[in-house]
Amino acid sequence: MIIKTFVTTYLKKTCNERFISKIKRNVTFYQYSTHLYKSNKWETIIGLEVHAQLNSKTKLFSSSSTSFNEPVNTNVSVIDAAFPGTLPQLNTKCVELAVAASLALSGNVQLVSSFDRKQYFYPDLPPGYQITQHYAPISLGGKIFLNQLDGLEYDTMVRIKQIQLEQDTGKSIHDIVPGMTLIDLNRAGTGLIEIVTEPDMRTSKEAGLTVKKLQSILRTIGSSDGNMEEGSLRCDVNVSVHEHETPYGTRCEIKNLNSIKFLMAAIDVEIERQIKELENGNKIVQETRGFDVLKNKTFRLRTKETATDYRYMPEPDLSPLILNKDYITRISNNLPELPDDLKTRIMKQYGIPLHDVIVLMNETGGVKYFEEAVKNRNPQHVSNWITHELFGLLHARNIKFSQNPVSALQLGSVIDCVDNGDITGKVGKKIIEKMISGDSRLASIIIQDEGLRQLSDINELEKICKNVILQNPEQLRSFKGGKQTVFAWFVGQVMNKTKGQANPKLVNEILRKLL
Amino acid sequence: MSLEWANMYSAFGPAYNPHTIISDQKEPIDQELRVAGGSSGGSAAAVASGMCFASLGSDTGGSIRLPASYCGVIGFKPSYGQCSRWGLVAYASSLDTVGIITRNVHDAQLIYDIISKYDEKDPSSLPPKLRSINSSLASFDKTNSNFTDLSKLRVGIPQEYYVSELSDPIKSLWKRGISLLRSYGATIVSVSCPSTRYALPAYYILAPAEASSNLARYDGVRYGHRSDMDSKQDEKLLYTHTRSEGFGEEVKRRILLGTYTLTAGSYNNYFIYAQRIRKMVQSDFDYVFRRPNPLHLVKNESSFCNCNNDEIFEISNKLRKESHGVDVIITPVAISTSPKVKDSLSSSFLSNSDNTKSLDDSFVNAYVNDVFTIPANLAGIPAISVPFGISPIDGFPIGLQLMTQYGDEHTLFYISKVLENNK
Repeated sequence: MIIKTFVTTYLKKTCNERFISKIKRNVTFYQYSTHLYKSNKWETIIGLEVHAQLNSKTKLFSSSSTSFNEPVNTNVSVIDAAFPGTLPQLNTKCVELAVAASLALSGNVQLVSSFDRKQYFYPDLPPGYQITQHYAPISLGGKIFLNQLDGLEYDTMVRIKQIQLEQDTGKSIHDIVPGMTLIDLNRAGTGLIEIVTEPDMRTSKEAGLTVKKLQSILRTIGSSDGNMEEGSLRCDVNVSVHEHETPYGTRCEIKNLNSIKFLMAAIDVEIERQIKELENGNKIVQETRGFDVLKNKTFRLRTKETATDYRYMPEPDLSPLILNKDYITRISNNLPELPDDLKTRIMKQYGIPLHDVIVLMNETGGVKYFEEAVKNRNPQHVSNWITHELFGLLHARNIKFSQNPVSALQLGSVIDCVDNGDITGKVGKKIIEKMISGDSRLASIIIQDEGLRQLSDINELEKICKNVILQNPEQLRSFKGGKQTVFAWFVGQVMNKTKGQANPKLVNEILRKLL
Repeated sequence: MSLEWANMYSAFGPAYNPHTIISDQKEPIDQELRVAGGSSGGSAAAVASGMCFASLGSDTGGSIRLPASYCGVIGFKPSYGQCSRWGLVAYASSLDTVGIITRNVHDAQLIYDIISKYDEKDPSSLPPKLRSINSSLASFDKTNSNFTDLSKLRVGIPQEYYVSELSDPIKSLWKRGISLLRSYGATIVSVSCPSTRYALPAYYILAPAEASSNLARYDGVRYGHRSDMDSKQDEKLLYTHTRSEGFGEEVKRRILLGTYTLTAGSYNNYFIYAQRIRKMVQSDFDYVFRRPNPLHLVKNESSFCNCNNDEIFEISNKLRKESHGVDVIITPVAISTSPKVKDSLSSSFLSNSDNTKSLDDSFVNAYVNDVFTIPANLAGIPAISVPFGISPIDGFPIGLQLMTQYGDEHTLFYISKVLENNK
């Protein structure tokens, strides 16, 4: 936070654009580790499989709610629990969100796709199979671009192989009751899209940025919350290394990475492990690995020989999913502005720095909120109030921005009152706190009702200042004697007397004159 | 779960053929207990013995028509998608059809007209638009109002159904059925469904594959039987004992078969081929019938979708009149009358026979029983078993099977009534 604030202030003062982008890069990515190659001898090939929960109210094949953090096993229907005689019913909202995601990623939405069963036994998978799209996915191809706006020093493109619609599983909870596994089926049957990339990434940073970009695209179009902590976005990564000018090496898959930080760390240690193995004359075997966060090491989960045969089979309960061109065009026309366009436009239109735009975009609906609040106001002020004050206060109270109780209209009223000198910034912050606590009045009304208006009446202030000076002859003497610091003490006294409502600028001027 | 063809190993024990138990005026020549057939043998026996007016069953490969033939009642399997599968315990989802067992055709039609409605809870339920198109298509029953005149009816005899296993009483009954229709003026046409010979093997790949998947949910975690052994075992064996104890031998055999054909190494060699054969069986029937298949009309000729009901009738009636196809196909239902319980048990899959060859033969014999009924399931077309006589050898009932084009249930009922009135 400190670093961010410092840089933002710093950036405001400089007008050299090239310099800005250089600083920005360093700032935006201070949180990431950077893999240092041992030598230039090795090249790394990275591919991603990203699972994103679809932002639909109900599940992919049942009408149970998808809401997060509900009491266990409360959002479960007979379909989710795979009772005999039940049949899946496709949720068209999920199809719409998947099509929107595919279009936003420049995918080729298929007019005909179909569902398959991926079969394995696990207690949190009630039917014994997951309905997915193995043979004919809903979208083929697509791409994600990375450039300076994303924090990469160069431009690159990650191709997407396919996007498929599928069900999520339930959750197995292993560590609450010793010796037992508990099952929560609330998540079972929630709609997911699996986005599979081509092996087009070369560094952990590119992989991390790809996921970040994907998150921001999915959030912008509203297809997914893309929240890795809550598990609404999950990543598996394939990593292989090879010497330059030689064929690609054998890949290992690292599963269940639940933050971008861990994703990057896991890739880096896996690269090091593979290089070390190869340098010691060993071979890399194709296997699935996990990542131990505490030890910062990857470990073997299963090898190719012990891999499950998923016995994919066309889903006989569901006919092929047939979309018509009009449907796809309609969704395409309703797509909101995508992140790259949005970033450029916001920076240009409002003249606020890239960093602010990124912070706004990191919250779902953040940019929309900004644009509502910014009408007829100073964009930089509005951005500061949102990104520094509002986000900070919400964060301190553990409230998600999506649950933000302060309307853009209310925040705008606070900014207006500060900007035209009715209240101090400090009081403004207090009013926002009130609003977060549920006060739905506009700032001007709160100020009036509670007498928070800033004292800007010069006559009134002069009277108070005179009184303060008269009542404190000793301090006056020491000031006249040359002790400049006492001036601040006088200002403090005036502020005290007015309960912080005096206009500090005016108080300064009046005291200077009187003293 | 009662999945066996002879219904010998269901959860509630065997269902006996009521003709051996209750029939006192028509004494069967052979007094030994006979099977009711499977898997809806219980439903057929209940209707035959007068315990109920009608009963519902499920027909995946003949499970309604076979017991109906054995027990001397009407067994009717509608087109796939006409009656909702919601609530039906799935065996092989793409073949499972809810059907009706009654003592006469009128009752079957009565129940059918009530239960053949669109259900949004079943994604394979025929949507309202297609139902409307289907009901507008020209068919034999709409153009003919006189039961004693079948001169405009074309009846197909598929040559591939004349198999070596067919018993003499059934052969002669089949011939009698054909002569009857001819005597009413119907034109009898020899037709060919060349893929029929592959239908049985294709069915025994597809049905177990789907069954292995549909039965995976019976793992004892949420409901049903759970083995005491599994709670003691480590996690990897969580299901082993539960599923080994809970399923019958024949069910386990089919799960293993289905699991095998779906493994990565054999999928392309078995499952994909079986799917192709299924398509071939479907197109055989489409070629043979003169009423167009409504499912194809919507796919290929989109102009059809914009027509009103009268126009659809006009167009399809013209097509039908020009066609050399048939309105209905007549075949046997089973290769024999109801087998003896004793014989079923001797070829039992449970017996620990040392003679592997006879054990293998017994499976194949059991599966061959479905040879006439399976094609209708693979093609999704309606089929009915109508009791048409008594075997002069053992005195047990024999049924004849009628099949019509997809969605043409009413022609099927129409011709069934002709057979019924003249048995």
